[in-house]
Order: sequence, then structure tokens, then C-alpha cells
Amino acid sequence: MTDNQEMLIQEAVEKALQGDMEAVNNIEDRVTRSKAKAALVKAKREAAKTSAEPSSEEKSEESAAESKPVPLSLNQKIAGIIASQFPGTVDEESSSETHIQLQPAKWFDIAQYLRDDPACLFDSLQCVTGVDLGEESELEVRYNLHSMTHRHAIEIRIECARNNPKVPSVETVWHIGDWFERETYDMFGIEFEGHRDLRRILLPDDWEGWPLRKDYEVQETYHGIVVPKVKEGWE
Amino acid sequence: MGVFENKFHDNVVIASLDKLLGWARSTSPWFFQFGLACCAIEMMATAASRHDLMRIGMIPRSSPRQADVMIVAGTVTLKMALRVKKLYEQMANPKYVISMGSCATSGGPYWQHGYHVLKGVDLVVPVDVYIPGCPPRPESLIEGLLKLQEKIQSERPLTRKTA
Repeated sequence: MTDNQEMLIQEAVEKALQGDMEAVNNIEDRVTRSKAKAALVKAKREAAKTSAEPSSEEKSEESAAESKPVPLSLNQKIAGIIASQFPGTVDEESSSETHIQLQPAKWFDIAQYLRDDPACLFDSLQCVTGVDLGEESELEVRYNLHSMTHRHAIEIRIECARNNPKVPSVETVWHIGDWFERETYDMFGIEFEGHRDLRRILLPDDWEGWPLRKDYEVQETYHGIVVPKVKEGWE
Repeated sequence: MGVFENKFHDNVVIASLDKLLGWARSTSPWFFQFGLACCAIEMMATAASRHDLMRIGMIPRSSPRQADVMIVAGTVTLKMALRVKKLYEQMANPKYVISMGSCATSGGPYWQHGYHVLKGVDLVVPVDVYIPGCPPRPESLIEGLLKLQEKIQSERPLTRKTA
């Protein structure tokens, strides 16, 4: 964003806060106008926050609530179980209450443990997703597990290197993983080691590249049929 | 009919063989029954009892060998494009192709960012009638089929073409 544009947005927001919405609406460039509107919303929200500062009583109540131990989420509990059974596999820093971050090394054994252990009993693999975290960083596989017996669910994330993405296959642990992993392989090129039939599932076998990666480039022709690329400057 | 007038009984019709062939072929274009996407739902609705394609002589056939018309109903992916081409090649001459809906005609909503979508089925097979719509209503499809029938009727397969 140029300085000129920033100045324009700032002026317009100030005017709008004083009740002159026209200043924002009259900006001709569409992008600048939407940015100005976003800035206006932000400014209004901040103004509302400062005016509704909580009183001292409320503050003391809040601090009392904070001192109580927060109950661990299921993901954190299961992460603890995995860490005790398989030391060094859980990435504690990246794990949170919403997911468990694992190292790929012992994933197959962990998966079997999660399925069979009476405290876990994750008998259904609901989804396997690949995620491209951006051109500079790594690829990630995410597993959503659910237990019919305990009616609880967790999410497991495993990172793998972009230039050589390899993750152990859990196709033999949960059979539904067969197609899930094939699809993830098809779209992201993540190789699931130990998968008995790792082929593309949606795209033709002779397709080039991995379409859902951020750095994917559409191939120019397919069996002599021209594949048009995205036109530049299109909005 | 000039010299032939009143020379035959009432139940005899006289016409040139070309016209007769055109009439016969245009009123029974059997279509190849396969759908690729949501357009196929409209095609099924057209073939079903309310719109009843059978009344204009169109019978769905499940084999390309028995079909005269191929209705490409839906999004053609690049993977399917090769198969569409192969199916077209398996049909017996004379054969016709109807491109039904935006996707088959130009790629439709995927015309730019669909990396795996064929941008128009006319890139792989010659198309006779294009039907716009997303998806086209049965009325549109019938209109397109009637246009195709007109085209078939106007053909003169036995007439020698002069340069």
C-alpha cells in the first residue's frame, strides 16, 4: 500500500468517525474503499472497547476465575497419553487444545494404539486432509479421529518436508484410510509409506503435478488438448 | 407432383429418395445415453414422461454403436475428454453431437480456474448444436433437438455434390 493511499484512508476514517460516511463512500478505487471501510470498523470497535472499560469489581472476578485450573481438553489428554507411551513423538509446543502435533516416525504404532487402547478406542478415521502451509513452509497431513464408544474426537497433525513428503500409512489400521490417503497423495503428492495401492484416485494416472499445492503450475497440454492457464490481471 | 399426379392409389406417397431418407433419419435420432454432471438430470427429466422425448422419435441407447446422436450433458474433465472422444469414434456414421449446457460448450463456471476441465467439448469432437443454459431446461433441450432434426432433414446424402 502506498503512503498516499494510507493517508487517504486515514483521512476518510477520521471524517467518517465524525459522522461523514460520504468521505469513505466517495473513494473511487474499489480496493482502497474496502480497506477504508475495514479500518473504520476497527476504529469503531476500539472506541467501543475503551468506553466500556470493565469496573474494578468485574476485574477482580475475572482474575479469580483465571487462577482456577483450566480443565484439559481431550486433545491435550490424549497428547499426554501418547507422550507417555511413545516418548519423543508429540510436539508439545505446536500442540494445543484443538489438535495434537506428531512426529511422523512412529505414527503407525501410535495409530494402532489409539484404535485399540480402552481409554481411546478411536475406531473411526473420519477424514484425512492435506494442507499446504505456504510456499516457504512444509506440507501437513491432518487426521480426524472419532470414537463410537466414548463419543469423543481428536485431530492429529503431522508435518512433512515439501521436497520429500513421506508419512507412514495407516491404511491397514483404518481401512477407510485407503482412499483418503490416495486422495491426499493425488492432490498434494504426499507419499504414504506402506500403503498397498498408492495411485492417483481422481486425476488420470499420467497427470503432472499436485494440484492443491500452492506452487502448482497447470500443465500446458494434456494428450494434445491445450489446458488454458489463468489469465494475468483478471479480477 | 407433375407427371405422377393421380397415377397411383391414394395410399402411395411419392417423394425423392433423398427427402425420404432425410425424413426417416430426422424423425428417429436415437441418442447415446450418458450424463456427466447436473445437465444429465435435466436430460433425464426431458426423457421422462412429462416431456417425453420418445414423441419426437428419440430413444436412449446405451451403446455408442446403436446411437446417432451424442448429447454431451455436463462438465467434461480432461480425463473424461479422452473417453468422450473414444465414444464418439465408436459411433457409426452419420453421427451428431449436441453440446448441452455452459460446461460442455465453454467450460462454464470452470472456464478459467478449473485446471482439469475441458474448455468446450468442441476441442475434441465436432459439435452440431450448442444449447446454452446452466443447466438448460427441458424445453431448451427439445428446441436444440428440433434444430438438429431440421439439420438432418436438410441433408441430401444421395445428391452428388457439385464443386
